[in-house]
Order: sequence, then structure tokens, then C-alpha cells
Amino acid sequence: MTTITRERKTSTTRRKTPVARKKASAKQSPLEVKFEVALQTLNAAKPFAKSLYQTDVYQLANELASTPEGMPILFNYAHQFDEAGVFLGGEWEDPTKLQPPFVGGSLRLRGIYSIVELLSEMRILAIAKGTYKHESISGEEASAFLNEVIALNLDLLISTDSTDDNIEIEEHLLRAHNLFTYLGQELSFSAIADKMVQEIERMTVQRPIITRRIIELIETSQELIGNDIEDQSVFALEKYLRATDAPTPLSTEATDHRDYRLKLDQASEEVLATEAKLFADSMAETGLVSPYHAVLIRFLNRKYEYILPTSLDLTEIGISSFTDNKGLIHDIIQLAIYPETRQAIYGLSRMLNRGDLQIEAALRQLFELPVHAHVKGALSNFVNEENGISVNGILVAGVVSVLGQPLGIGQGQNAICQSARAISLWAQFNVEKLFDMITHAARDNNIEMSFEGELINSNLLIDGVASNINQDLDPVSIILVPHLDKIYNEMMKRTLLRGEDGHKWVNREFYGEWIPSGFINVIDPLTLKVTNYTSFVKLFYATHHPDYNEGHNMLYPNPVGIFLTNVHGELLGLHAVSIQRIEKDQNGECRIYFYNPNNDSTQNWGQDIKASVSGFGELEGESSLPFHEFVSRMYAYHYNPYEQGDTYMVEGAVVEKVEMLAKNSWGKNYVWA
Amino acid sequence: MEMKEKNEKITALLGWSLQAIEAIDKLNRPYVVVGPPEFKPFADNNGILFVPWQFNVPIEHSVELYEQLKELNTKVAIPIYEETVEWAGMLNSLIWENPKVFNKSLLLRDKSLMKRRAHLAGLRVGVFEEAFTKENIKHFLKRMNEALLNTDEENFEPIHVKPFDKAGTVGHRMISKYEEIEEIDDSEFPLLMESHLEGQEFSCEAFVHNGKVKFLNITEYVKLGHSNFVPASPTLEQWRPQIRATIEKLVEAFEVTHGILHPEFFLTPDGTIYFGEVAARIPGGHIFEHIERVYGFSPYQGQVLCSDPDTTEEELNAFFPEEVVSAKGHSGNLMVYPKVKSINKLNIPTELKEHPYFLKHNMFIPTTAKVAERVGYGNHYGSIYFFGEDSKEMRSLLEEYEKHNFYL
Repeated sequence: MTTITRERKTSTTRRKTPVARKKASAKQSPLEVKFEVALQTLNAAKPFAKSLYQTDVYQLANELASTPEGMPILFNYAHQFDEAGVFLGGEWEDPTKLQPPFVGGSLRLRGIYSIVELLSEMRILAIAKGTYKHESISGEEASAFLNEVIALNLDLLISTDSTDDNIEIEEHLLRAHNLFTYLGQELSFSAIADKMVQEIERMTVQRPIITRRIIELIETSQELIGNDIEDQSVFALEKYLRATDAPTPLSTEATDHRDYRLKLDQASEEVLATEAKLFADSMAETGLVSPYHAVLIRFLNRKYEYILPTSLDLTEIGISSFTDNKGLIHDIIQLAIYPETRQAIYGLSRMLNRGDLQIEAALRQLFELPVHAHVKGALSNFVNEENGISVNGILVAGVVSVLGQPLGIGQGQNAICQSARAISLWAQFNVEKLFDMITHAARDNNIEMSFEGELINSNLLIDGVASNINQDLDPVSIILVPHLDKIYNEMMKRTLLRGEDGHKWVNREFYGEWIPSGFINVIDPLTLKVTNYTSFVKLFYATHHPDYNEGHNMLYPNPVGIFLTNVHGELLGLHAVSIQRIEKDQNGECRIYFYNPNNDSTQNWGQDIKASVSGFGELEGESSLPFHEFVSRMYAYHYNPYEQGDTYMVEGAVVEKVEMLAKNSWGKNYVWA
Repeated sequence: MEMKEKNEKITALLGWSLQAIEAIDKLNRPYVVVGPPEFKPFADNNGILFVPWQFNVPIEHSVELYEQLKELNTKVAIPIYEETVEWAGMLNSLIWENPKVFNKSLLLRDKSLMKRRAHLAGLRVGVFEEAFTKENIKHFLKRMNEALLNTDEENFEPIHVKPFDKAGTVGHRMISKYEEIEEIDDSEFPLLMESHLEGQEFSCEAFVHNGKVKFLNITEYVKLGHSNFVPASPTLEQWRPQIRATIEKLVEAFEVTHGILHPEFFLTPDGTIYFGEVAARIPGGHIFEHIERVYGFSPYQGQVLCSDPDTTEEELNAFFPEEVVSAKGHSGNLMVYPKVKSINKLNIPTELKEHPYFLKHNMFIPTTAKVAERVGYGNHYGSIYFFGEDSKEMRSLLEEYEKHNFYL
């Protein structure tokens, strides 16, 4: 009897709807009718039973999304999705929790998740277009979300027509393509291009050593240039395109590397100097290096050494290190600078500009170092073998990059922030130790470190922190990280029963003795409660803030532990960064400048805490945050007990401000003692 | 309203099934769901009265469950899954203070006992024996073939074996070679062995109240474990009177008073009906969905109403429509099993999607490409639903697409 009532209900609603949407009902396809019925059935179900009817909606949505004509049909219903319960009980339920960087991954999955993701984008489009009013997402926010999604996944927008007929495009990618084409039509390409430029700028300004992701973005952004986008964006995108390809007149004319080299042979010295200058400018501006730049440098290295400083964008200090090390530079270029390792040109430039390099002997040792077969295997994945670059050449290129861009070292997608931070610290302050480790690791596939007088050999250890280290790392990291990761883990194990956070001892032994001996952690390791938060904050102000620390400036970076939080301030996990320096910015606000090994330093940490990478005097690779915002995410730091001001001078209001931020973010996951 | 809630006796569903919960919820009668503890948070969030229970403990623990259900003023327990049939029997025995209810439920949980009981009641059954060792099976296979005057070991007539207490086709094997016996794991014993029966296979879904069959559906199997449709074709439905008589005999033999029966039969071309087996739970193979689609009533609700002795004759007469003639058409489905080891692609022909009988399918490329090994007929990877007027067209569609490779 109840069923009959339900049947009747369904049919009344069905009769009603066409009145509400006259236009669409005129030519509803059978598929649309099915979709509408499925959506209404879902809508009529009680929340606990929604899952019984979601599949039908997904299935029909899948069908609709497989043709471009289906997208507007889906959009006609998108404003009802939330109410009907399309996303109920899944990760897409609350749209405020969604983040643009994760969308691409879901869309690239085969099967059901890619469909739910697609429907979610349609829902957000409905918010953007105003057909669906969401209580906590505005139309502008929705547009910004979608612009970012498209900017991050431009490859999905790339035309499918041009591809070879023989290669069948997988269904889910075809759907994603239809989605992006539709979103592109409905939103403005101009906004997407703008977002794209921002994204590229944001990443390049940090000057990472590994530029694969940036280059991918630049390549896909080409697709946008033909569309109706602002001149400013076109100009910026073209600049990046040129930087990674042909930024000079001669390289633009050349058909390939060989042809370019032949053209160089014919060119006058003035032309060569112009080429050198243009390459150097492009590199300085973008941090990206053209493969032709490598061809030029190898050419100049043989015939016109005097133009090299121009092509390397050297400063006065750079020129003097160049003059002092001519033989060494010549050999480095000969051995290690190839189109494949072009990015090391930037490293070489910055290394020389750093000046004061006593590395000739150590570096020369790497030129002919016998490399362990295992290491050889790991490194040879790094570049194609076609151009005859040797394993030692890759190794040297890697070392040059690390020395030139110590803050450009990234952890890729690996949980190795400790190791990445260590390499970065040594590249800045203990080059000798770094060389020593590289030599041992490359030759013996082993690193030896001592912990409280006992030797630890990495090749005798099995477990590290990171279970699986992928190859999206620079050559030095590829060689060192597997060893460092295991050693660090082993050191931490040896402190497990001490009743205090092991970092207190491990950091000094692992990173170096210049790490101050004082150490404090907000979490009591025995009770796992937040303990003495007030003194934690006051002590940090008294030791680090220029207004309270009696003028004791930092000499070395401070490796600190932070709670990583997402855009909603929710705890994601623990992370290792190092504070590079603490200074007042141009507005007189005290900021903490830090190195974040995840190379994505502008992450939004919630509560309006957004690390910046430019605009406040940040150096390449540095991020910065106002002092109190950074403190609110910290859980452990080192300090020098002999260099501190008085904690009682720190005002209660200052602590309260920090504590509020902490309690309302990561603090929710802990008990406060 | 509050008074009513306090006084009204409630119905307990044994086993977690959203379809069943939704159906009873729409009946507007108080109910409680007894199911695995992992569903507790979901039930709480959705205001579903829930008693967490693991059914894989010895039945002696049923008193603990009974105490909890009694506290809630439970008047009847309804089994949803094979494994909960004896639990429902025991609980209803306790609620109604009638020990026999439990004993009767055990008959339905032991394939060998049920066969004997059916045989005793005069239903036609194949030749069957119980096997406790592999030797028993060898002996049975040999003796069956001797009886058939077949001494050609290479071409033995097959026999079937199945565990006493597993649902549907789980653990079912067809055996015609000695080597196949060796593949059986010792843990599968004891097993019921039976001779192979030829003929049209079908199942019935009988809704029984007060010992009377209030509604009888016949489901025609096109290929066991793969495809079926409701109601059966006219060729099979012409035997309805005989089938109904057999069902009534079965109801009497098993002394079923309330609930549903889901027996399987074979019909030989001359109209002889052989009893296969019987269960007292919701059938698999989407049969309930078919019944709902063609007859317009919820069989889950039908089960609840029939399981409750207090339901009146009038209520039932109003609830169940007329058999066969009131059906809006034939509803059928094909369960799809991948024929590959690893799935990369879905291959759904356009002709299928454009066929007027095609309703929907629920196949997706699974997140893990590797195909799980099959147990019994195992987990199918999606179903295709059809609806149409002509049972011949339905059968040929189901046969045709059974051969198609939907997963590549």
C-alpha cells in the first residue's frame, strides 16, 4: 500500500517539473528522462537509503558526460544535487572541504570516483553561475575554485580531435575533457589563464631545483594562448614558454640543438654576447633554463670563455669566483652541463654568485669517483643516455644545483622532509660534510654517522621513515636520502625510552653541532598532552623575537617542527622546516623567513595563515609568515639558553593571540593540560 | 504518538539490508535492526533503532539477544540472510514460547535434513547421500553411474555436491571426474551429494501467512547464477497449478506458518517437478527487485507482513495483487562476471543500450583492476536490467548477452 503511495508521489512530481522548466522539457532525450527520474527517486529516499539510489544517478550521469551535449543537461540539474543527496555519505558531501589540487587526481581515476568528482564540479559551477545558492560558498569562491581546477589540469582540456585515430581515449578521460570544455565555455578562459600564470609564478619564484611540474604547466598552458584571454596573460605565458624553449633570436630560428650549434659557429662575437645576455636575463627572471642555453655555454666554454660570465648572469662576486676557478668551471661545464642537465646552469650561476667557494678538490674528486652500481642505476633514470653525459656528470650537475640553490631542494611526494632539510642546511653551512657524504654514498652506497659515540652505518639498517622513495628528486637527494632517512630513523629509535622528545639529541648529532642545545616541545611525550603552552610561546619570543631577545641574532638556521594544517586549519601531520632568519619587513612587521622542503610554500594553513614567497623581501626559496602566525603552528624548536631575553617581558596578550590560533586549529586534536 | 510508540510491539530485522530497512520504514511500523556492530554509527546517525550483534557466535548466546529484544517489546524476528534463519527461529521460539519454531528453522539450514524432510513428504527429489570424506564422494559417483549402466569413467554422468549450510551456490560443485574430488578442501565437509537433474530450473517466492500461500511468484532461470526473469514465461507458468500444489505440500511438510519460502525446482519436459532445495530468506539474483518492478508491491514489506502473525487477512488481500495477470511485463537481469583476470575497460554495446528492453546497468570499472576469485557464483561485477512484454525476447536477450565480454 505504501508503495502505491510512493508511485503516485513520483508521478505527481514528474508532472510538475516540466512546468517549472519549460525550455528543457520540449526536447528531453530519453537519457535525460531516465536521469531525471533517477535523481527524483534519490531525492525521495530517506537519508539512510540514499546509497541504494546513488549508483543509478552516477551511471546515467556517466552516460550523459560521455558526450559534450550531455554536459548542459547535467548542469540543468546540478543545483539539485546536494539536496537530492548525490554526494551524501562520501568525501564529496561537504563542498567547503574540497580542495582544487585533489580534483585532477580523482578525475583521472577510472570508475566511480571520477564520476562523483565530475558531478561535484557541476555542483560548484551551479554555485558559480548562481543557479544554486550555497550557504557558505559564494559565487566568486566557486569560480575561483573552478579556475584553479582548470589551471591545474589544463592537459585534460587539450583537444582530443588532434590525437591519432588509433589511440582510443579512455572513457573517464573523455568525460573529464567534456567537463573541462564545458567549464571553459561557462567560465572565462581569461580568468583561467590568469590563475595559470599565478600558479607558474608562485612555483617559479621559489626557484626549485626540480622543475618538471612547472614545465608541464607551462607546456599545457600553450593551449590557452589561442583562446580569448588577456594580453597580459598571453605575454606572461609566452615569456615562460620562451624561457623553457627558445628565448633568443638565434635559438628561435634553429630547428634543433645541432642546427643552433652550427648557427653559433657562424655568428659574430656581438651576436654571441647578445645571445648570452638574453639567456641570462630569461634565466634570472624565471629561474628556468632553455636547453639551447646549455648548447651556447658548451660552445662558449670552448671558444669564447670571456662571454661565459655574461651567459651565467654573474654578479661582481660571481665574476671574481669565476676568475679564481676558471679551470674548475671549464671542467664542470665540459662534464656536467648538457641540454638534459640545463637546470644546473642556474645552480652554477647562483653557486658562483655565492662566492667564497673552497670546493675545487672535493668537486674534482667527484669527477672520476667510481660510482657504486646501485647508485649508477638510480642516477641513470635521471636523464636519457642519448647525449653521452656520464653518471659522474649527472652527479656533478646535481651538486652544483644543490650548492647554488640550497633552498631549492624539494622532497617531492616523499615523506622525507627531515633529510631534505638536512641537505639544505649542509649545502649552506657545512659543504665539507655534504661532500663527504656524497662521496661515501656514491662510492660505497653507505653513509656512516655517529650517535653519542656509536657509529651507525646506513647499509646495515632496513627501515626508514619513508616507505617508498620516488624518483622525483634532484640527483644529490636521490643518492643521499635513502641513507639519511634510515639513519635518522635509527637515531630516533635509540632515544625512544628517554621520556623526552628524541629530536632534542638527534637534531644536534644529525644536522650538526651548531644546532643550539636547548630544546622544547609542546607535547609532553608521556601524557601526549599540550603542556605549558604559555612558556613555550614566551620562551620562543624571548629567544627569537628581536623585540624581546636582547639582540641575539640567529647565526644558523633553526630546524623546527611544525603542525601542518589544511585550509580549514585541520591537522594534517607533522612537518620539518627550518627558520632561515627573523627580520622586520618593509612595514615594520616582524616575520619569520623559513625554508619549507615541500616546495609548495604558499600553502594555505587555514585561519588566514598563508605563507608568502614574495613581496616581503623573501630570498629565493624562502617563505615567510608574520612572527605570531608561524609560532602558532610550531610544536618544537631549539634555542640557546645563554642567548635569551626575559620571558616575563613577553606580554600576556601576545601569548593569548598565538594560543587562540593554536587551540582552534591543530590544538583540537590534542588534550590541553 | 509517544504513547503509541511505547505500547506498540516492534519487529526485529536480523541482518543489515538497506532495502529491507527502507521497506519496513515505509510501512510506518516500529522496528529494530539487529546487525554487525560496524553499522552502529550509521544507524545512530540516521535514527535507526539498532542492536549490535555478531551472528557468528554459537546460537546459545541467543538468550542475550532475546533479553535485549524483549526489553524493546519485540513481537517477531525476521531473518534477512541465510545465516540469520536459525537465529530468527530461536528468537521467535523464545518470544512465542514455542520451541518447535527453532527446530523447524534448523530444517531450513541443513540441506541434507531438508532433502529428507521433502522426500518424506512425498516431493520428488534426486538421489542423494551425505558425504563426510572424499571416499564417500568417489563411491557415490561410481554407484550413481553404475545405476545408470555407465562404466565409462571418462564420460561419467555428473553429480552435485554442496555444503549443508551455505546460501545459494556457495560451495556448489558439479563433479564427473575423480580428480575433481581431490580439489575439494577438507574444511568443506560435510557435503550433500545429489544426482544431476535435467530440466528447466526455476525458483519460487512464496509469501506464507497462517500456513497459507498468499502470493506465489515463479522466477524463471535462464542460466543459474547468471540470469533470470519474473514472472516466468507462459511455457513455465502453464504449470502453475502443479507448482502451487507442490509449494503447498512443502509448506505443510516444513510446517511453515509465517514468512517467505524460496525453493528451487527442476521441471522435466513431461511436467514432473523435482525439489532442489529451499530457503526461508530473501532470495538473491535481484528477484525482489523484479517482483517490485512488475507487480508494484515491495516484497520486503510482503515478508514483514507475512512474518507477523497479527497481520489481518484483509491487510494481506489488499497488499498482494493478482498473480501473473497483474504483472506489467517481464523484469529480468543478467549478472555479469568478468571473463578476464584484470579489468581495463568496459565494453557496453550501443545496441544493448538502445534496445527497448534495456533499463539500466550498474557496471563501473572497479578501482582495483584485478578480478577477485569466485566463490560459488561469487560476487558479480554488476548487473544489467531488462524490462519488456515478451518473455521470448527477454530470454534471448539474456542468453545473447551472457556470452558478451563486458569487461576487457
